[in-house]
Amino acid sequence: MSVALPARTVVQAIEDAAASTKTGYRFIDESTDAEPFFTHGGIERASARYGGALQALGARRGDRVALILPDNADFVFAFLGAIRAGLVPVPIYPPSGLGKLSGYLDNTLHIVAKSGARLLLTNAEIKRMLGTIQAQVPELSRVAAVEGVRSMREELHPAKVKLDDVCFLQFTSGSTSRPKGVVLTHENLAANVRAIMHLGLGVRDSVDSGASWLPLYHDMGLIGFVIAPLYHVNTITFLPPLLFLKRPARWLETISRHRASISFGPNFAYALCVKRIKESEVAGLDLSSWRVAGCGAEPIRAENLRAFADKFAPAGFQEKAFVCCYGMAESTLAISFSKTGAGVTTDAVNGEALWAQGRAIPWAEAHPGPDPGLEGATTIVACGPAFPDHEVQIFALDDETSEHPLGEREVGEIRLRGPSLMSGYFNEPELTRKAFAGGWLKTGDLGYLAAGQVHICGRSKEVIIVNGRNYYPQDLEWETGKVEGVRKGNVIAFGTMKPNQDRERVIICFEASLATEAERAELKGEVRRAVQQALGLTVDDVVLLGIGVLPKTSSGKLQRAKTRELYETGALLGRTSAREVDPVAVAKELARSQIGYFRHAILGTKKDD
Amino acid sequence: MTWTRERVRGELIELFGQHLQQGASVAESSHLVADLGIDSLGVMEIVAAIEDRFGLNIPDEALREVETVADVAAAIETRLQREGRLQG
Repeated sequence: MSVALPARTVVQAIEDAAASTKTGYRFIDESTDAEPFFTHGGIERASARYGGALQALGARRGDRVALILPDNADFVFAFLGAIRAGLVPVPIYPPSGLGKLSGYLDNTLHIVAKSGARLLLTNAEIKRMLGTIQAQVPELSRVAAVEGVRSMREELHPAKVKLDDVCFLQFTSGSTSRPKGVVLTHENLAANVRAIMHLGLGVRDSVDSGASWLPLYHDMGLIGFVIAPLYHVNTITFLPPLLFLKRPARWLETISRHRASISFGPNFAYALCVKRIKESEVAGLDLSSWRVAGCGAEPIRAENLRAFADKFAPAGFQEKAFVCCYGMAESTLAISFSKTGAGVTTDAVNGEALWAQGRAIPWAEAHPGPDPGLEGATTIVACGPAFPDHEVQIFALDDETSEHPLGEREVGEIRLRGPSLMSGYFNEPELTRKAFAGGWLKTGDLGYLAAGQVHICGRSKEVIIVNGRNYYPQDLEWETGKVEGVRKGNVIAFGTMKPNQDRERVIICFEASLATEAERAELKGEVRRAVQQALGLTVDDVVLLGIGVLPKTSSGKLQRAKTRELYETGALLGRTSAREVDPVAVAKELARSQIGYFRHAILGTKKDD
Repeated sequence: MTWTRERVRGELIELFGQHLQQGASVAESSHLVADLGIDSLGVMEIVAAIEDRFGLNIPDEALREVETVADVAAAIETRLQREGRLQG
């Protein structure tokens, strides 16, 4: 039985932890090789300085303050300081990668405008890059550079903060045009922190310590490693996210050197370590202190985790340290964790029945016999049960009232209830209403329950996840549509795990009427360049189709799922080559027809159309 | 070790070639993101390789001024020159 301590605000947690002189946060800085350490008392003092500075810069109680701070220490102190000053911080991711991504500026502008931020705190370099952002967002009255704030010594006027006050806005990586700000209260955070630290991981106050390279503008890094450890007075060592991407070994070296017991990463992080860390680097590691190796934020692939365990077993890594996690920003952070000390457990099911009948039939049941083997089985990672006081149930996608939960091993939409759930999206009553059905939050993920454990097998939302980052097909389609020669509104982007099931591939299909192969190749190249440049992701395949080839509903709406299916089976490409037989005649014919897609399928088989 | 501009560029094209999928052709004018499709993960892997090969430290901010292979070469040459390790 767990002891229910009274819930505390983040402000209270900062103040309570301040008495500790042994524990705190360490920030690894790549350029200086220094590792400044702030005790929990030091965190209290530094956050008071930053909070006082924000007040001196004109921020008033309840004001949203946008934070674009690549330096981890700046971010932590400004974020906590804003909360203590009664402000509502809005973390925004800093630009990363090469050149100036136009998509980055658009997205930042949208978030700043949508949050109604009055103050934006960033560094001098990014401030220059944002240029005239104030002219485009009238409510934003000031853009301040953190370099000046670091040396300010203004006194904090602490705000009286209650549990039901808004703590911060967590913008989800929604489509660029519609970023959504998840509103989280101190009550939400206290409930989820209790679920994660106390109920989920059994964290020992002041004893367990963590290491994290996770970006702090994302829920797993921010709530899991900045906020939660304040409640439990744990020492955390932070690495810059880009340093991890550059040299993955630095993550494991940090765990090894500081004897960390808890560290998390998305699936790709573990795969990256397998791919990039050299055997000679493994030799110097000691990972025996690593008690909880959490994996979440993107689909978990058991074979990636096993490969990691194999590679780092000589360094003392124990496979049973893996904890498979399911979560989302709308539920503060965590929804369910697999049991600590149990490692990765998978459920082998019949893949065909999973999709055709919506039932997760155990492989052993479908293949009786002494040793059926797992050849042909689909394995789904188990992500543990719902936390106490929280509920997870499965419903049919069209169950608008959530009155009829599906049964054991029936596949449907995962829906949630409980104290970790957001109150809604900031200033988005319509989107908030749509996010719930009969009081349950619709996650948009497909899955089933087996023996009380959550199993995720797909997504009903069409988000594309590459290396832990979400991309929305609408954004890719928008950028494609801007390229001259592309038929506007006739573009479909999607992600597919086919053919190798090893990673998500990004595919863009669009229509254009071009006769020569050279012109077609050039346009495809332009589309690839435009999308890659705007969004900074790698496009795996660009498919140019004739007019009317993309599947549409009877009302003329493009069908993304259908297009993906045609692409995966090769039928879409079949149409493409058939299309080239007599482009002009077929194009004219098809353009006139509402059912051009079907006609083309038939005509396409005849050479002399 | 001292470098010439010619050797920097030759080395760089070879290094990019090793990190890209087969069939990708690399020229000095190649745009890293648009033409070569290098994503944020790929960029950081290449930066690590460059730092090791040329014995340099490339800060994250420097990446924002880089768009083509030639830009990368220039960034390397500037840093080598500063350290007196570039001839000519």
